[in-house]
Amino acid sequence: MSYQITESCIGCTLCAKNCPTGAISGQLKARHAVDAGLCVDCGVCGKICPKGAVLDAQGKTAVKVPKDQWKKPVIDPVLCAGCSVCVENCPKDCLEIEGPKFHGDIHTVARFAEGREKDCIGCGICGDVCPIEAIHF
Amino acid sequence: MATSYGGYMGKVADINLTTGAICEYPWSDEECRLFLGGKTMAAKIIGDHLAEIRGPLDETNLLVISTGPFTGTGAPSSSRFNVSSISPLTGILTSSNCGGNFGYYLKKAGYDSLVIHGRSEKPIWLEIHNDRFTFHDGHSLWGMKTGLTQEALDEALAEQSGGKRRKNGKIVIGPAGENLVKYASIVSNERLAGRGGVGAVMGSKNLKAVTVSGNHTVPVHDKERMDRLNRSWFKYLRSHPLTGDQLPRLGTAGLVSSMQMKGQLSTKNYTYGQFDRFEKVNGETLAEEHNIVNKGCLTCPIKCARTVQVDGKAVKGPELETLGLLGGGILNDSMELILRWNYELDELGMDTITAANTLAWAMEANEKGLWDNGLVFGDTADISQVWEDTAYRRGIGDELAEGSRALSEKYGGKEFAIHSKGMELAAYEPRRAVGLGLGYAISNRGGCHLNGGYLVILEGLGLNVNQQTPHGKPDVTIIFQDLMEGTSSCGQCVFTTYAFFPPPLIHHPHAWYTKVFNAIVPVAGPVLRLLTMFPQVVCFHLPVIFNQSKALKYATGMKVTFGSFLKAGKRGYTLERLINTRLGISRKDDSLPKRFTDVPQIEGDETTKVPLEQMKDVYYRGRGWDKDGIPTEKTLKKLNLDHLAVSQMPAGSCRQEVEQHG
Repeated sequence: MSYQITESCIGCTLCAKNCPTGAISGQLKARHAVDAGLCVDCGVCGKICPKGAVLDAQGKTAVKVPKDQWKKPVIDPVLCAGCSVCVENCPKDCLEIEGPKFHGDIHTVARFAEGREKDCIGCGICGDVCPIEAIHF
Repeated sequence: MATSYGGYMGKVADINLTTGAICEYPWSDEECRLFLGGKTMAAKIIGDHLAEIRGPLDETNLLVISTGPFTGTGAPSSSRFNVSSISPLTGILTSSNCGGNFGYYLKKAGYDSLVIHGRSEKPIWLEIHNDRFTFHDGHSLWGMKTGLTQEALDEALAEQSGGKRRKNGKIVIGPAGENLVKYASIVSNERLAGRGGVGAVMGSKNLKAVTVSGNHTVPVHDKERMDRLNRSWFKYLRSHPLTGDQLPRLGTAGLVSSMQMKGQLSTKNYTYGQFDRFEKVNGETLAEEHNIVNKGCLTCPIKCARTVQVDGKAVKGPELETLGLLGGGILNDSMELILRWNYELDELGMDTITAANTLAWAMEANEKGLWDNGLVFGDTADISQVWEDTAYRRGIGDELAEGSRALSEKYGGKEFAIHSKGMELAAYEPRRAVGLGLGYAISNRGGCHLNGGYLVILEGLGLNVNQQTPHGKPDVTIIFQDLMEGTSSCGQCVFTTYAFFPPPLIHHPHAWYTKVFNAIVPVAGPVLRLLTMFPQVVCFHLPVIFNQSKALKYATGMKVTFGSFLKAGKRGYTLERLINTRLGISRKDDSLPKRFTDVPQIEGDETTKVPLEQMKDVYYRGRGWDKDGIPTEKTLKKLNLDHLAVSQMPAGSCRQEVEQHG
C-alpha cells in the first residue's frame, strides 16, 4: 500500500517537486495523485504537505513536520559492514561507501556523500533496510 | 501463484519472446520446499521442458534467471542471481551465478524468477517494472559494448521517470553474445554470469538486455530472529580469516601465491604448476600497486572485488582465474596487460576463463605445428586484437569463438585441450590437488572448480590436507558440493561457506589440532559416507560456522535442519546430473585431459597425476549413482526426484549437438 493524496489537495505541487522517485503527478491547483508503482513510502510528501492531504501507507493522515526537525541517520562506523544496502535504497542518493582512508584499507563504511546531507529527507529507509541495525536516527 | 513461505515473492514470469506473451509460470510451495531457488529451481524448470528443447541456440531453449529465498532478506552476500540454460559450449545443462544487484531488484519487481523462451524477430530489450513488461526496440543498443549499453539503459529509464534516475538492476550482452560466441557472458553492472555461454543464448533470442525495478519488499517469516541471526552472521564473516581478511584484502587473487607454492598454478597451458615470474602477477602485486579499493556486491560484507585503473578509468580488477590463466597460463608477466584484457573481455561480454584457456590451447597447437595461427606463448603484442576478432568472429577469432574442445576436435591436440565436458578449467592445476581433479571431472557444468566441490581449499589453499592422496576426497567432495549447491540455491554467494572452517584452523596452520584435522580427512571417508547417505540424522543446526540452514528456516518458515539443508543440496546436484544423463552424459564424459591423468607433473613422481577412475568409483557409490554415473532409481526416490518427467526418460534421449558456427 503506497501513500495517497486526498480531496483536500489544493494542487500546490510541493509534493510532486519533492518526490524523489517522480511518483507524484498533477496539474497546478488540481488534485495530485501518487503512482503506487513508483512510490517507495519515503513519506516526504506527507511531511511537507501544507493541507494534511496525504495518507500514509497505513491509511493514516500524515503530519506536517518542519524541515529542521527531520531526523537524520547516524551510521555506526564500527558496526557498518559497507554492504551498500542503504546506499542502494536511499531514494535521494545521499549515501555512499567511503573511499579507503589509506592504501589497503578494507574497512570502508557508508556515510553521507559530500554535500548531500542537506538533501536527506529523513525517510528512515536506510535504517529499515540495514541488515545489522548499524543506522539509527 | 501465491506462496505461504516467506523469502519468496511467489511469482515466476514466463516470457515468450516469439509471441510477446507474458504469463505466470506455475511454481508451488512444494516446489519451493524441494528445489529452494537459484540453480536448483532452474534445473527443475529446464528438466520439465527438456524434451521440447531442440538445441542450445534454438528458440526452444530456455534461459532461466532465478533468485533464492535469501535474496532481499538481509542475509549476507545474498543479492546473487543464477542463469541456467542448455549451454552452446557444452551441449549440457549450464548454470552461471552472478553478483551485482539484478537479483535484488528482480525481487523488488515482485518476481522470484524469469523463464525466457522463444526468439524475437528483431533485437529488443525488455523493461520489467513491477507487473509491467515492456518490449523496446533494441536496434540502437545492438553492437554496443556492455558498459555503454548499461549507461544507455539508465538514460532510457530516467527519461520515462521524468528525468529522475530510476534505480534498477540490469543484465546485458555485448558483441560476443550478439555474435553467438560459445562462451559469451551476461553482464550485470561490473559482474558477470560468465560461464557456459549464457550470453550467446540471450543473443540467439535477439534479447540485448533486461532491466528490472519496482517497489516490493521481500516478506520474511520470522523477521526478528532473521535480523538477530544476520547481525551475528555479518560479524562472524567479518572476523573470519578467509572472509574477513584474506578475501577483502587480496581478493580471490590472493590465492595465486599459495597456488605457486603448492605447484597448483597453471603455467604454459598447464604444462607446469609453477610460474617463475608469478610475483609480477599475484594478488599482493595487484593489491599493492593497482587496487584502488575493494568492492563488494550488494549486501556483501566480504567485498572481494578489486577496482583498478585502465586508461585512467576505474574498472573491475581481475579474479584469480583470470590472473592465473592470462599470466602464467600464456607466459605473460605483465599485470597491466591482464588488467586491460580483463576489462576488454568484460566489455565484449566474454568469459575470461574459457577465452584464456582457448588462447593457451591455440598457442600450444601452433607450437606443436597442429594449427598455424601466429599465436605464441609469451608474445602478448596482439592479444587485444584477438579478443576483438573473437567477439566479432573475424579471422582466427571465428574459430577461437568455438572454444578449445571444438578446436581440438578439428586440429588434434585433445590431450592438451584443458576442458571437461567442453568447459575449460579454472587456473588450478589438478595434478597437485587431486581432489579438485575429481571435482573438475565430475562437475555438472563441465570443468568448474566451484561446482566441482572446490577441494583445493583443503589441499593447500586454506588447509594442508595431503594434495596427492585420493583417499577421503570423493566423500568430502560430495559434502562440499551439496553444501555449496544448497547455499547457491538460496541466492547466496558460496564464499560464505568458507567460514565453515573454524578460524583457529586457518589462523594456526602448524598447531597440533590443525595437523590432526589435516591427517584425519584422508581416513574419514567411511564416516563422511554415512553423512552423505543419511544426512537427515543431523537433525539440528550447526552453531556459528554454518548459518544457512537456520536462515532458511527463519526466512521461509520451512522446517529445516542442517541435515535437510544438505539433502536439498544433494537433490539439486543429483537433479542436474539427471538432466545431463538425459543429454548423453555418463562416466566416459567425467574426464580430464590426458595431460592430467597420464603425465606426472613432476617427472618420475607418479603421485603427481590425477588417479581419476579410482576416485570416480568411490564418488559414484557415495552419490548413489551406478557404475556408469547414472543416478539409480533408489537414489531418485530417496531425493523425491522419481516423480519428475525427466526421471522417466531414457539416458541420452535428449542429446544435444553443439552446433558449429558457419
